[in-house]
Parts: sequence; C-alpha cells; structure tokens
Amino acid sequence: MMKESSYRTGVTPVWCPGCGSFALLNALTGIVLPNLGTPGHQVFIVSGIGCSSRIPAYINAYGFNSLHGRAVLIAQGAKLANPDLTVVAIGGDGDFFSIGAGHLPHAVRRNVNITCIMVNNFVYALTKGQTSPTTPYLRRGEGPFLSLQFYPPVDPVLDMVSYSVSTGASFIAQGITADVPHLGWLIQEAIKHRGFSFINVLTPCVTFEPPQFFKTIREKASYLKEGEPVELPDSSREQPWLHDSGNITLALKLAQTPVLEKPHIGIIFRGKES
Amino acid sequence: MRDRLTIGIAGAGGDGVVVLGSLLQRLAASQGYFSQMPRYYGPQIRGGASGVKLSLDTTRASVSGDTVDIMVCFNWEKYAELEQELPLGINTVLFYDNAPPKKGINLPERSFQVGFSEISKELTGTTAAKNIVALGLLERILALPENLSKGATAQDHASALLERNGLALNAGKRLLLEFPFAELKLSPPWDASVKVVLHGNAAVAQGAIRSGCRAFFGYPITPASEIMQEMQERLNHGNGAFLQAEDEIAAVGLALGASLTGAKSMTATTGPGLDLMTEMIGLASGAEIPVVIVDVQRCGPATGIPSKSEQSDLNHAIYGGHGDAPRVVIAAYDVEGCYRLLIESFNISEYYQTPVILLSDQWLGQTTVAIDGNFLTRDYSVCQRRRPGGEYQEQYRRYELTEDSISPMAFAGDEGLVYQATGLTHNEKGRPSFDFATQQRMHEKRWQKLAPLRGKDELVEVFGTEEARRGIVAFGSSAQFVLKTVEDLGLQHRLKVCIPELIHPLPDKLASFVGSLEKLLVVEMNYSAQLHHYLRSQLDLPSDTETYARAGGLAFTRKELSGPMTKLAR
Repeated sequence: MMKESSYRTGVTPVWCPGCGSFALLNALTGIVLPNLGTPGHQVFIVSGIGCSSRIPAYINAYGFNSLHGRAVLIAQGAKLANPDLTVVAIGGDGDFFSIGAGHLPHAVRRNVNITCIMVNNFVYALTKGQTSPTTPYLRRGEGPFLSLQFYPPVDPVLDMVSYSVSTGASFIAQGITADVPHLGWLIQEAIKHRGFSFINVLTPCVTFEPPQFFKTIREKASYLKEGEPVELPDSSREQPWLHDSGNITLALKLAQTPVLEKPHIGIIFRGKES
Repeated sequence: MRDRLTIGIAGAGGDGVVVLGSLLQRLAASQGYFSQMPRYYGPQIRGGASGVKLSLDTTRASVSGDTVDIMVCFNWEKYAELEQELPLGINTVLFYDNAPPKKGINLPERSFQVGFSEISKELTGTTAAKNIVALGLLERILALPENLSKGATAQDHASALLERNGLALNAGKRLLLEFPFAELKLSPPWDASVKVVLHGNAAVAQGAIRSGCRAFFGYPITPASEIMQEMQERLNHGNGAFLQAEDEIAAVGLALGASLTGAKSMTATTGPGLDLMTEMIGLASGAEIPVVIVDVQRCGPATGIPSKSEQSDLNHAIYGGHGDAPRVVIAAYDVEGCYRLLIESFNISEYYQTPVILLSDQWLGQTTVAIDGNFLTRDYSVCQRRRPGGEYQEQYRRYELTEDSISPMAFAGDEGLVYQATGLTHNEKGRPSFDFATQQRMHEKRWQKLAPLRGKDELVEVFGTEEARRGIVAFGSSAQFVLKTVEDLGLQHRLKVCIPELIHPLPDKLASFVGSLEKLLVVEMNYSAQLHHYLRSQLDLPSDTETYARAGGLAFTRKELSGPMTKLAR
C-alpha cells in the first residue's frame, strides 16, 4: 500500500492496518512534498499526541512529536523564527479540539503561515476508544462506537469546521482519507496559501469504529466545486447554492451541515492572505 | 551632611508616588548618587496603597535602613496599609498633605503639614501636580543643584512632565524656607559619574538582548510583565520574533518551536505561569531543547500576593514536573546579576541543550536601582549551540552519545541533517523506543551532561574570612539583606556568607563552603525552608544548623535578621 518516496524514512508505522493515517502519510510523502518540490530540510512537521501524531518519524523532513494539544504552538514558534520553513502541524481531534482547543483561535487570528491538519477519527483511539469532542452524540446502546456502547457521549459534538470559520481562519478545508489524491491536492493548496490553514481530515478508526461508520461518511461525501451547486443533506429544505469559497457566510452554512449527513469535501473557505 | 538618606513616599494609587520617587531617583543618579527604590503596591490599579522607599547613597547601592529619614505622605489611610514597609522613626522628618492622622499613628516630633494638593490646585488648577510640589521640596532639602531637573531628564516623557509643572516645582522649592534641614543634606557623591537607573526586570531584558536572544514569547503577569514589555520594544522592529501568547503554555511552546530552528528563545513569568509551563519544561529537558525561563517569584500559592516578593518557587524550579527531568536553576541576587546571569543562563542552556530557570523575585525585579553602568558594557563570553559539522552528513544522530553527553544539534532548516525528535523515549537517532536500556541510557546522558556545571565556582559568591567556621547560606534578593545585616552588626570577621547563584546542580564550591562550617544558618523567604531542605538532601550539614525561613510579603528587616545572626556568631 505504501508508495515509495524519498520523503519516507525507513521507520515502519505503528498504525493498525487500514488506519486513515496511512492515507495522510501517502498524501504528504507521495504527492504534496514531491509536487511542491520542497526539500525535506526545509520542511518542519510538528505533531501532538495520538495515533496520527506518530507521523513525523515516518517523513524525511525535520520533525517533532511534541505534547498533547501543543503542536500548533511549536509550529508557530518555528515559523516565526525561521519564515523560510514550510511548517505543518498535525494532530488528532483530541489535540486540536479538546486539550489544545484554546490555542486554535489565537493561531487563527495571528494568521501565521502554517498548515494545520486535524486527523479526525471521531474517537480517542490511542487511549482505547473514549469519546472525543467530535464523537457523534448517541443514546445509550446505540452504535456505532464499539467502545462506547455502555457509556456513550452525553455532550453535543464540537463542530470543528464551523468553529474555524467562526473564528475567521483564512483557509479552511475538509478532506477525506478515502481519497488520497484529493487530500494531497488540498494540503498543497493549504501550504501554498499564505496564512493560517486548517484542514479537517475525515478518517476512519478501524479498531474502535465498526466499518459502516466511515462507510456512511464516504458514501454521503460530496465534493465542493467552485461555481457549482453544493449538495445538501436530505433533511435540508434550502435551495442549493453555487459554491463560492470566498464567501464566509456560505462557508459557515457549509460548515454547519452535520458531517454525518453530508460531509463536504474540498475548500470550504479561502480568505485573505497575510 | 550625610552619606545615606532614606525617603519614604506613600499615597493612594494615582497620587503620583512612583513618579515622584522615580524622578527624584533619576535626578540624584544624574549627579552620581547611588540608590535603591523598592515599590509597594496593592492588587489594584487606582485607589490602592502605593509606596516607595528610596535610599540614596554616596558610595554604593544597598538595602535601606528599616526606618525612613524623610517621609512624604499624601494619604494617611493608605499609609496605614504600608506602615510595615515604611515605619516612621523618632527622628523621621515627616511631610504630609491634608489633615493629620486620626489615631494609631504617632507623629514624629518634626512633622509638617504641607498643603501639597492645595498649592498644586492653586497654581495649576488641579491637585494632580502635588507630587511635583513635593519633588521641589525634596530637591531643596537634599541640596541637589538648582535647575537640575531640567538638564537631567532632557528629551523624555519625564522632563516634559516637569516642564509643564515648573510652577508647582518652584513652589515646592520655596516651601518651609525657614526650617533648617542642614543635617538632611547629602554629601557629594563619591564619584560624579552618572548612574544608570534600572530594575531587575529591565536588566533581564537587556541581558537577553545582549546574549543574542531573538525570540521572546510571554503572557502578562505581575511582577514579571516589565520583561515582556521591554522585549516587545526591542524585538518589534523586525529584528526578532515576539508574541504575546494566549497563555504560559503557549509562551513556552512558542519558545521551544523557535529554539528548534536555532533561535535563542526565552519566556518570563512568575509562579502560576511556571506551573503552566511545567509540562513543556519536561519536554525541553527530555528532547534536549535549549530554552531560558525567568521566574520573577511572588507570594503563593495560587494567586497569593501578586505584588509582593517570596522565594517559594525554589522546589518547583528544581523538581517541578513528572518523570526525572533535569534542568538548571540559577538565582540572581542583585540587578547586575539579573543581567549577567541571563547571559549565563543562555550560555548554559545553549551549550548543554537544557532548560534553564533563572529565579528572580518581585523585590529584585521591580526595585529600581541607580548603579554604575559598567556591567552593561563589559565583555561577556557568549556561547553558541554545538552544531554538527560535515562529518555527520551521512549518518546524523541527533542524540549521539558523545564523551561529554552533549550531542551536536542541527537547526530545523539545516541541509543534510534532517532528524525527527520526540518527547517519547528515544534512541540516538531520535527514534521512539520502548525498552528499559534506552530509557536508562538516555537518563544517564541528560543527567551526566550537566555534571560539569558543579565546578562553576564563579557562580557562587563567598563573602567574609575564609577561616570563619560559622556561615550563612542565602540566595536571591534575601542575600542582600543578609550581607547588609552582617556588615551593620560588624560580624564580617566572625561570619562568612555564601550566595549560590547556581542552585541546581549543586555547585562544589557551595558544598565545600558548607563543609568548612561548624555552625550554619540558612536564610530564605519561604515558609517551608525549601533551600534548607534542598541542601540537606544533597549535603551533610553541620549538626549545628539553623534556619531562618518565613513567608514573603515583607522584605527582611535588619532588626529581625540580627537575632539569628547574633546567635550564630555567639
């Protein structure tokens, strides 16, 4: 499954077979970095703590696997001190929207030119299946999280994409690990964007979710294309509008679409560059 | 004529107490006088008590006497809150605005009700210039040369202030003309060179710039904010990275990120901020990332007394955090030390690739001193991080086990030296590892690399006769009070004093000092005697060892220290 790439180190990933993190690794080392042509020494990958945060060890670039929730800090500090570096912060939903959530709006308002990739598998996987802020709200006994049958999440989901829109991030996108070429393209666009970029990557957890959870997301996913009508969930009574990634109001409407009903894949908002 | 004079000023926040004290201090400094001026304030911006205690000296800056020679009081209610800091003596000459105090305060014999506010109102239409009226009076009493105020503070905000208030100033100079103040006149300064006026926090910031620090990240917190403000001014012209972070976790996280690219990076805070930084300090220790953290200690725990000094973060600085995470702890005891030791902190941090915590405290950080400025221009060796050379191009190992356990560190961005590091236990390549042997070996590396620091004799000051068998150990600003008290009691030949600037790892010179004693006294400003316990954990202390440890919130007085010291000398 792994593509050969000079951007890979010889270290074997620790992820479960079929983990979405492989897709991100492939997108970065097989598409993004080769296409951008940036040499590894000019790239700095910083991660937090969690399954996906093991990724720096597998990429032949400067890398630092830091603390839970704090990747975005290390990344900003590095970029400010050496603006020539391409800096990417990678973490999970726990990193960016739980323990480190307080840092995100500040990164957004500073608009430091870094790319933030949230590998969102809707669950705390490395600690074996506890709820994350993005775990869908369920009633006791309802699926789909095997680990949560008896203690399902009781709090509503924190919607990370609308949060990013509402705090005014200058580049917001949603990708899916089922489509590596598209994910690669999104990350490339995010890196090229001069300002703070946030990408929510929808990812399966093959261990703590039954297959149908991500399968549903994949089937319902629709791609955003500039100037073309957006798809809306069946429950929506709104008229579809033409996608305009420069329009923050439309971006907020897209972001507020429940991800399990209609995940929009593509660039949700692209604002002013710094 | 006299060589020393202590002036107390008290009022409500907004009365211009600190402005008055600062102007007087700068005027005197421009004539060559040394001085020291701690400030006392409450946890509010306006309306709280505000006081300063300015000690002018013809020969050197040292801590003031317990009582004041001259007292200026703008507000008796607020003075009552500062009575401990600014006690009146029987010989104090007191000038007060408005009505005399109601009860509880015994006015000294020479007390004068001077209508500072009234005069200000009459001349300027507002009472706001009352502090300038007082300045005029004090200038004359101290026999500072005429019109000094104009020349001394030219081209700045303060001189503009004086310019506008010339009427008030002159009115002050004409006050109480008939009263003989001859005995309050200061002798000419020992040398007339202009003294620089700064506080410990400013010295820290200037030391940082001097050592080549180009990345500062901070979060406002009393009493450390001045460091951040000065760094903002100095780094905000495109010559460095500065950010006011969203919290202290962010501040130190940003600093680590900058450090990984090779920038000398730092942050400054006080106790509660150090708490938040603790996890990152462990990361910096484990992943061997240089960073300097200044802790301007204040009274704790929790919010404690934010505006008052204590030395109670020592345990945290040495031991704080989970997992064995070695770090270096240094403590400055005077303003010159704040400057010199900040440079030293960077040298150690960069050379040994380790977090360094520089301890200051509110008293040291916010007391302005007028001192000889030579230390600002002296030569200091500035150390650079050890970087890998060509020999590593093929197989660079970030955590290579070298003879001195220090591994050359590439900067993120260096060609041919790409590495991946982690807060996980890692091997020489920086790869995550889960085995005991690696865990043990990497602990050995990180602890052993700091061992040579024990030999840094220059970071331990010893005063007094070597043959003395009775000695005191004190650190931080408390050490100034200890030195002064020993001198005042005339005990220099009976007692010696050791002031470790390097606290952790414990320096050999401190160990041999303690080893030479029959009787030891440890003086520190925290309730639980943290320094004493630290020393006990590392050294065999004399069986006759005593501690003088008490909570912060009030500077040591010579009166209180003379008890334990006299006993030690007996």
